[in-house]
Amino acid sequence: MAYNFPIIEDCLRCTFRENRVFCDLPREALVRLQSIKATSVYPKGTMLCLEGQAPRGVYVLCTGKAKISTTSSEGKSIILRIAEPGEVLGLTAAISNTPYEATVETLEQTQANFISHPDFVRFLQDHPEVGMKVAKQLTHNCQCAYTEIRSLGLSNSVPEKIAKLLLGWAKNPLQYSGPQTKPPEISIRVTLTQEEIAQFVGTSRETVSRVLGDFKKKGWIRIKGATWSITNKRALENLVTT
Amino acid sequence: MTSTLDPTNELYSSLSPEVRQELAKLAQVTTVASGSKLVRQGVRPEKLIILNSGQVEITVPAEGKTLTLGTAGPGKVLALRAIVAGEAAEVDITALEKCSLTVLPAEEFLNVLRRNPEMYLAVVKVLSGDLRKADSFLRQKAGNLPLASGSRTRRR
Repeated sequence: MAYNFPIIEDCLRCTFRENRVFCDLPREALVRLQSIKATSVYPKGTMLCLEGQAPRGVYVLCTGKAKISTTSSEGKSIILRIAEPGEVLGLTAAISNTPYEATVETLEQTQANFISHPDFVRFLQDHPEVGMKVAKQLTHNCQCAYTEIRSLGLSNSVPEKIAKLLLGWAKNPLQYSGPQTKPPEISIRVTLTQEEIAQFVGTSRETVSRVLGDFKKKGWIRIKGATWSITNKRALENLVTT
Repeated sequence: MTSTLDPTNELYSSLSPEVRQELAKLAQVTTVASGSKLVRQGVRPEKLIILNSGQVEITVPAEGKTLTLGTAGPGKVLALRAIVAGEAAEVDITALEKCSLTVLPAEEFLNVLRRNPEMYLAVVKVLSGDLRKADSFLRQKAGNLPLASGSRTRRR
């Protein structure tokens, strides 16, 4: 197999559909979606949308993850959120017909369905249930943005912010050793680099490196490539005050 | 004189006259004094608010601190995200001066939305604008953070 996941070209037969924010649509809308989308697989590091670029269309993320980041006038990048399968990328630009507000880069090998801007606008106009799904995703994205604003404005220490991030990722573990292991271990897949983690929590890469080193030294986490194990969840929880 | 059918606000401008008429039946026009809290963070809004005149300030409270996202003027629709999501508000909204408002009970607004799902197109336009503002705030904020500029070091 050329890719590390099966390619799903037919939205009507997609078995993940019901669990996805956008794709769980009535049959009529799915048939239309199938006719207007182009499926592709992108390697890790592909820029799907570029901040400032005119909106060409939207991408529906089928498999894989993508980071959504923006850059200040000083050239500093901040990660706004990580997109999960089922999300539509490039939405605000497509809806308001303005340049992309953020850069979207794949964090791993990713399957995405591209829908051109005119086709997406017509799809939205012709199928009210599509609007409902888009509204649901936008309310979620707004909530993420406000959470990020609150987090950046808080006087929380960097270890606290990193602990919070790790605990958030631990909600979707690769593996959980179960309560029989004392203390229980949670394995997570981390596709972000230290620099990207820094962009997420608003600090320097050096600080992230120092904090992670400290967590490792204390035996709270173990890092082996992209697989991280949280070996003392309680200790991380104790760091988080909000 | 403010009309509850006014098509110039950011929501009504994308709605059909029929839907605007239906919403007008629920709407009430009211005036609030400067300093009035229109939306409270952590509280589920009971009313959708359309700002007819005056200015409001949108802030995000965080641990005793207040981060100002910006101000909004006539035509702005307030509390839409929380009402559509059925959640508590994420922001505080305060009148900066005497404001005229059109208010619609949240539940009744949602009933009209359910009966007229084509309204979602107008809803997503408003939400998209709100998200752009929040992301823009974050972009500005990034400039003050101790982040590296432009470097692409890959280190796990």
